[in-house]
Amino acid sequence: MAQPETAPPQTAPAPVPAPVTPAPGVRIDGLTVVYKTTAGELPAVRDVSLTLEPGSITGIVGESGSGKSTLALSLLNAVQPPGRIAAGSVEIDGLGDVVGLAGERLRKARGAHIGYVFQAAQNSLNPLKTVGKQLLDLGRSHGVDDLRGLVREAKELLGRMGLDGARVLDSHQHELSGGMRQRVGIMLALVLNAHLVVLDEPTTALDMITQANILKIVREVHAERGLTTLVITHDIGVVAEVADRLAVMYGGRLVEQGPTREVLHAPRHPYTRGLIQAIPRLVGDIDEARALPGRPPTLATVPKQGCVFRERCALRMDICETDDPAALADGPRIVACHAVGVKERA
Amino acid sequence: MTVIARRLAGHLARGLVMILVVATISFFIVNNIPGDPMAARYEKLIEGGMSPEAAAQAVKVLYGFQPTGTLWQQYTDYMGGLLHLDLGVSVSRPGTPVLDVLGEAAKWTVLPVLAGTLLSFLVGVMLGVFAAIRRTSKLGDALAISGSLLHGIPQYVLAMLLVVIFATLIPILPADGPVDILFEPGFNAGYIGSLAEHAVLPVVTYALSAYGGWILAMKSSVVTVLGDDFILAAELRGMKRSIVFRYIARNAILPLFTILALSLGLLLGGAVFIEKIFNYPGLGLMLIDGVNDRDYALMSGAFLLITGAVIVANIVADLFYSTIDPRVRSGEEAA
Repeated sequence: MAQPETAPPQTAPAPVPAPVTPAPGVRIDGLTVVYKTTAGELPAVRDVSLTLEPGSITGIVGESGSGKSTLALSLLNAVQPPGRIAAGSVEIDGLGDVVGLAGERLRKARGAHIGYVFQAAQNSLNPLKTVGKQLLDLGRSHGVDDLRGLVREAKELLGRMGLDGARVLDSHQHELSGGMRQRVGIMLALVLNAHLVVLDEPTTALDMITQANILKIVREVHAERGLTTLVITHDIGVVAEVADRLAVMYGGRLVEQGPTREVLHAPRHPYTRGLIQAIPRLVGDIDEARALPGRPPTLATVPKQGCVFRERCALRMDICETDDPAALADGPRIVACHAVGVKERA
Repeated sequence: MTVIARRLAGHLARGLVMILVVATISFFIVNNIPGDPMAARYEKLIEGGMSPEAAAQAVKVLYGFQPTGTLWQQYTDYMGGLLHLDLGVSVSRPGTPVLDVLGEAAKWTVLPVLAGTLLSFLVGVMLGVFAAIRRTSKLGDALAISGSLLHGIPQYVLAMLLVVIFATLIPILPADGPVDILFEPGFNAGYIGSLAEHAVLPVVTYALSAYGGWILAMKSSVVTVLGDDFILAAELRGMKRSIVFRYIARNAILPLFTILALSLGLLLGGAVFIEKIFNYPGLGLMLIDGVNDRDYALMSGAFLLITGAVIVANIVADLFYSTIDPRVRSGEEAA
């Protein structure tokens, strides 16, 4: 088989060519998502603002429980009960505020405007039906008249991703490998011509070679079809590989965002710094990698006031106990930290 | 040879072996029941005031033979007969082959139990889906509780309750026998109507007692499927609600088909109490009579029939499952 692709981890993503169809921009503003628990409604995502530029690939990095998947589901207004969007808006070009959508309009927006790709290890296909039949179900759900055309488009997409389209459409889920399923997931997200794509942990549970292939496909398909892409991951390497822009989540808050290369080379928020220091290098001493002390908060242990990261923070100050740091912009970079003062950013 | 054919051949071979084993075991168990049919008849005649000699003579004339062979000889005779589907002659109904007795009784058991099982399956499965979707509401709770309650009441208690309510307190339905003897048997409205009327209570009993199991099984199955990723995935792809519902229903009902097939296999033997209570001349009542009369051949035959039905149901369940679940269909390793 192919050599493991040893792409340097911080390759600049290929420049996006002028898209055929205008990729939509997304503006998330002040988004708060709460989950109902026995201890009342607790926020999983709190006051998050994030802009996805048209045609960009944005990566959201965070540990389990940081709220990144909840944020991703909010883009489709699909937060599952007992969760609900408590405040904020998600403006998508061509759709308006998704938070206000409901019923048939919401259903039709899903799939047709916004494609959602599940983690490969999750079984996102009906085990009793072939991929092709589910493709037809998808087409009928969205009122596609030309079902033959849809199948042709699906075969092309699968072929583009290195699969035998006819064979895959004729297969059941259990007959496909993890990497094949992930490509089928991408195909189903794109086949209705959605131009906003959300990938939730696209490479988790795949082997290294398949991971590299999937990321390559994500990058290429993104450029070819002129998409706006959001990648959710806990793997900084994935973001480094594909994303133009990087956003770091911790305890339901966006603590830092900026152009991927800048953030990775010069992280500002103490959490981002800790994350990057924790990555072992291929060359050099393994001991240089330093684990972040402490454990990430859960829904119940996130501090109600003050900075969510202060418990594990080396730069902790008095003000961190009481005041939640505001997200301050400095050019393309945004950091929410009291310790990283204005003077340091200058 | 295809997978299905190979699997069927394996099932048939195993089924045949199982039938032989059951025939052997039931033969020896039945023969070890205290007392024997000749002696039972003899005692009866003595009690009736006959002299011992006359009674012995009468018994011999009645049956046409006096068993003299050893148990082993009887066993080899019986098994030899089995090979050409000869189950012997009923002892309590001299001269009637066991097969005929079984056939006559089976039709009174199969139809009502089948009707009751299918009815409860349909109603239970549909309400189970409802109970799962509305599981947080009062109605969902009420459905689940109704299921637990009916599931917990023994079948014979339910039968007697129905008799008390609908045949005694509010006498609107008959509860004795399969048909009114007033009507000429045949394909006429009066006879058919009477048949149907008499079948209502037994069928309702079967249906109510099985309903609880179906609704609870379907509810938990649907709840499991609702939590599956592919349902959320279908919703996030904007699939129509009707299509998502079909995905849920088809995946949830799969395990229930197995239970249905197996319970249909048990339907021949599962009606003993009910038939006694409603005086319905099916296999259950026949089996009770057979035991009372020490009718060896009839008992063995009934056990064999029940065994055969269970084996056939198992085979049908397996083959049916492999046609509706693609994961089993293509996987030879499951054979």
